[in-house]
Amino acid sequence: MTETLIKSKNPNRVTSHAGISSLIVFSVLLMCWIAGFASRLFAVIRFESIIHEFDPWFNYRATAYMVQHGFYKFLNWFDERAWYPLGRIVGGTVYPGLMITSGGIHWLLHLLHIPVHIRDICVFLAPIFSGLTAISTYLLTKELWNTGAGLFAASFIAIVPGYISRSVAGSYDNEGIAIFALQFTYYLWVKSVKTGSIFWAASAALSYFYMVSAWGGYVFIINLIPLHVFVLLIMNRYSHRLFTSYTTFYILGLICSMQIPFVGFQPIRTSEHMAASGVFALLVAVGALKHLQTVLTKQEFKRLFIFGGLAAAAVVFLTVVGLTMAGVIAPWSGRFYSLWDTGYAKIHIPIIASVSEHQPTTWFSFFFDLHILVCTFPVGLWYAIKKINDERVFVVLYAISAVYFAGVMVRLMLTLTPVVCILAGVGFSGLLEVFLKEDQQPVNKEETENEEPTEKKLYDKAGKIKPRKHDSNKSENKGLGSNVKSMVVIAIMMILMMFAVHCTWVTSNAYSSPSIVLAFYNQGDGTRNILDDFREAYYWLSQNTNDDARVMSWWDYGYQIAGMANRTTLVDNNTWNNSHIALVGKAMSSPEEKAYEIMTSLDVDYVLVIFGGVIGYSGDDINKFLWMVRIAEGEHPKDIRESDFFTERGEFRVDNEGAPALLNCLMYKLSYYRFGDLKLDYRGPAGYDRTRNAVIGNKDFDLTYLEEAYTSEHWLVRIYRVKKPHEFNRPALKTDERVVSASEYITKKTSKRRKGVIKNRPTVIKGKRTATKEKTN
Amino acid sequence: MKFIVILAFVSLLMCSANAEEKKETLVLLDNLATRETHSIFFKNLQDRDFKLTFKLADDAGLVLSKYGEYLYQNLIVFAPSVEEFGGSISVESITEFIDNGGNVLVAGSSTSGDAIRELASECGFEIDEENAAVIDHLNFDALLDKGDHTTIVASPKNLIDSEIIVGGKNIKPLLYRGTGIIADRENPLILPLLTADSTAYSYVPDSPIKEYPHAVGKGTILIAALQARNNARIVFSGSLYFFSDEAIMSIVKKVNDNTVHDQSGNINVINSISRWVFGENGQIRVASVKHHKEGEKEPPASYTILEPVVYTIEIEQLIDGKWKPFVANDVQLEFVRIDPFVRVTLKSIGGGKYQAKFKIPDVYGVYQFKVDYDRVGLNHLYSTTQVSVRPLTHTQYERFIPSAYPYYASAFSMMFGVFVFSFVFLYFKDKPEKAEVEKKTN
Repeated sequence: MTETLIKSKNPNRVTSHAGISSLIVFSVLLMCWIAGFASRLFAVIRFESIIHEFDPWFNYRATAYMVQHGFYKFLNWFDERAWYPLGRIVGGTVYPGLMITSGGIHWLLHLLHIPVHIRDICVFLAPIFSGLTAISTYLLTKELWNTGAGLFAASFIAIVPGYISRSVAGSYDNEGIAIFALQFTYYLWVKSVKTGSIFWAASAALSYFYMVSAWGGYVFIINLIPLHVFVLLIMNRYSHRLFTSYTTFYILGLICSMQIPFVGFQPIRTSEHMAASGVFALLVAVGALKHLQTVLTKQEFKRLFIFGGLAAAAVVFLTVVGLTMAGVIAPWSGRFYSLWDTGYAKIHIPIIASVSEHQPTTWFSFFFDLHILVCTFPVGLWYAIKKINDERVFVVLYAISAVYFAGVMVRLMLTLTPVVCILAGVGFSGLLEVFLKEDQQPVNKEETENEEPTEKKLYDKAGKIKPRKHDSNKSENKGLGSNVKSMVVIAIMMILMMFAVHCTWVTSNAYSSPSIVLAFYNQGDGTRNILDDFREAYYWLSQNTNDDARVMSWWDYGYQIAGMANRTTLVDNNTWNNSHIALVGKAMSSPEEKAYEIMTSLDVDYVLVIFGGVIGYSGDDINKFLWMVRIAEGEHPKDIRESDFFTERGEFRVDNEGAPALLNCLMYKLSYYRFGDLKLDYRGPAGYDRTRNAVIGNKDFDLTYLEEAYTSEHWLVRIYRVKKPHEFNRPALKTDERVVSASEYITKKTSKRRKGVIKNRPTVIKGKRTATKEKTN
Repeated sequence: MKFIVILAFVSLLMCSANAEEKKETLVLLDNLATRETHSIFFKNLQDRDFKLTFKLADDAGLVLSKYGEYLYQNLIVFAPSVEEFGGSISVESITEFIDNGGNVLVAGSSTSGDAIRELASECGFEIDEENAAVIDHLNFDALLDKGDHTTIVASPKNLIDSEIIVGGKNIKPLLYRGTGIIADRENPLILPLLTADSTAYSYVPDSPIKEYPHAVGKGTILIAALQARNNARIVFSGSLYFFSDEAIMSIVKKVNDNTVHDQSGNINVINSISRWVFGENGQIRVASVKHHKEGEKEPPASYTILEPVVYTIEIEQLIDGKWKPFVANDVQLEFVRIDPFVRVTLKSIGGGKYQAKFKIPDVYGVYQFKVDYDRVGLNHLYSTTQVSVRPLTHTQYERFIPSAYPYYASAFSMMFGVFVFSFVFLYFKDKPEKAEVEKKTN
């Protein structure tokens, strides 16, 4: 009886324990989702539900087009309003995953009769996906380590600034959903390596397909996974599980990825993807050898191994080299080179270097984006290396490569963030395992309300992990008193709380600005002022110009002009045609009459420049100007030289010591037209540029070929109309060009006397009266 | 319909087809006597339905426009010595009048005033120095000249090669007395209607020549014209005398030449020029532009690369106050995306319609059908129609190309092979084993 009782009780206890832990897991993940979603809403609450920045405007426009016209129209969309007059095949030059995702959500909601505007779906897509990212991070970490570490990692990734920077509400960009796809693919890959099941490998390939459809960063996956396989092979960890999962993943993933029009044949034709196929061949070769090993004698095998292996390696290598030489396989792209040689882009491809996201990362931004995690993630890495197994090799490689890439480009901070969260989760859970092991109860009471997700996690972990850790750490832990333990735990809690505070602060201050609406706070009373110049100007464009008017601006503003003003642009943020951008750069950096030739050849109707000199906005066109010059110089080295725009001492300055080429170029004139007359305050001189803290050098000039059409309230956006050739009706002779010198005739007409003057006018001689007078005189 | 037709440069002011409407013309004189001395010219104009309003150039009540509307379509300035126009007229207001499409005929003389000079240089000409006159010691009129060789006999051969502007060249010699005009060489719009002979030069007659004359030989322009970019027409004559009754009616006898002409050819030239400058001659316009795919009638929303396209433009010419089909064989069409990708000569298909058929190039983008017809004497015809040319959609690519059949075959044979293999693998291998096991157990 007792035995049976115990037996029946035990399963009960086990299920209730499992139930509680899964409840905890569920609630922690739910709260991660909610917290992650809520902390991304700063911009919406402060401003409005609006699309941010530059690229999201295109994504939104494309999504709206797809929702309106259907998927096939979108796939075949030829956008004649972009890249005038070249046009852009949108369907073949985007990663459509983002549009399909939000379009699908829109379709589903409308199927359920929930009428949501597509803009709201676009705005809130990234915050919603942050919850999914948290869950997939949890799953991945759980596979790599344990549930506790998983919950830590999930709560980290939910609020870490490095990820929030690309996923706040309104930041409708590929990265928002791509990080989820990335993490989920890795999870499925790790799962399939662990189980060796075709099902998981195929799932990984499908998830990879989604990732390919969503973001160009899929190249990271298709290089990291082969690297993982390769390192496992070197470590002599070949197994049938690995063989099954990689071959399945690679073949399915390859076929799927080629279905995306933008990717097309790249996976078999570019160097970036060659590692994957090389590893595939290698894996098959290793598999064959392993098989032969079982069949052949040792001696035979040795001979075969040496000769066969060498021959195979040589054949593969020569094939790749030969194909590259023949042009079948494209060599590394410029963007890829710049990952290895950070100076490469600046010299060879200024257009890549000109993007602020492509700059090398500063040490500061590691801490800014990751805070305490950047310190704890080496701990997790060390744990992972110490207890290495097949899947932990993966996370180690992931961490090392991501750290390198994040160091090269600010933008790739985004790929580093998830692995930092995973390993920091491992690190924290490892720490707390040591210090929470024996006395769980007191700690629970001490925990604060703020850190609910972490609390629960700790609780859960402590209970669950105990048995495993018991034996290894027994002797060390015995030495620690409960006071020391609780102090350490409290310290960790404090750090985590500060992390949460930091995340909130960074999110609120750094990453929640829509950047098309600027806000500043009055120094006196702290009230908030909104500068809505961008939308004001775009609205002006949409209301006051012809529907087919062509607007020239620097490429940064292309998507916004297309999205908000719905006007034709010459270049935009999809920087696919360097020479067209260089042409715009050349127009901007040439003197007016030369620029006019370029502008008429491109049928430009309006020119839009961003000028921050009045309000001290530093992201304006004059500050970007050197990049325009560099890009123009790259294509037209005879006409534009960067050195012309520097002073003799190599300075770039706009005041009267500035280089003459700068002071007379179109961009300068358009930015500073009439600015020389403007006094910003009573004491300061006229024409004082607040952004560059200088009085401008060329104040007194007129525009010949353009005329000011619109200047926004704070002069942030200035729009000029390009005069048409017929407006220069008669080429008049200027005074100094005349052969016959002109006499200075001064008008004799006044407001009262309107009579003209005729030379040698036949005067009427009035009879004899004068004669008589003379006579009398 | 996203195509846009821009019919630019066809000035509406001049195109009014209603011949019954009197063409309002303001004549500015520096001396009302000019009205009598030039009566033939004015009479001719009046006969051609011009309503002339004669005013003294220094009249305090002169106005060109009222409430933003021009009172006159044409302006004749026969007041060489005016220094400053009266009323609200000034050089600026006249240039503005030109920029708004008004036509101007100006005559100067050796004593041209500042206003005329300013007006001339606004149009890209210069009138030679004060008191300078065109002198030709070999081609002066033996009867009329007073000894300074300034009444010259200009040969009709020196007229510009354009029948539309100056009429036929087969006319009697022309009498001219006045100053020379110097044209801005860099101005592409200037037309030298009549130049002096190679023996002429422009200088002050009585003074000894100390400097090189400003205008020498054929570079001395006697009558110059400018067709502005908005098709406003301006004619500058260095000689008011050229238009006078005296010059028209005189017997012409060139020195050292025994041929005596009972009348000069001035009247022919004056009539032709006045027809041209006031827009009775040399007017063409685009009546309609059509383009569509071959075999269709309406223009598509956008073309696809490599499609055959038909472009038709209808051009009309103003003849005797009525728009009639224009006849030419040198109208060209360009299909432009920054650079012209296609350039063809349009074929006339009758009724003033010109047509071109061509295949759109294999390059997508936003193109323009561009007809840019600029001929001396005719106004500038410029028509652009923007169309977009898109690439093939995903359903338009060729399918089942022969070269792909090996791949189809390989794919299907592979599928079949794998199926057979798996079938064999699953069922062939198991049976013997089972049989053996069975045997053993048995």
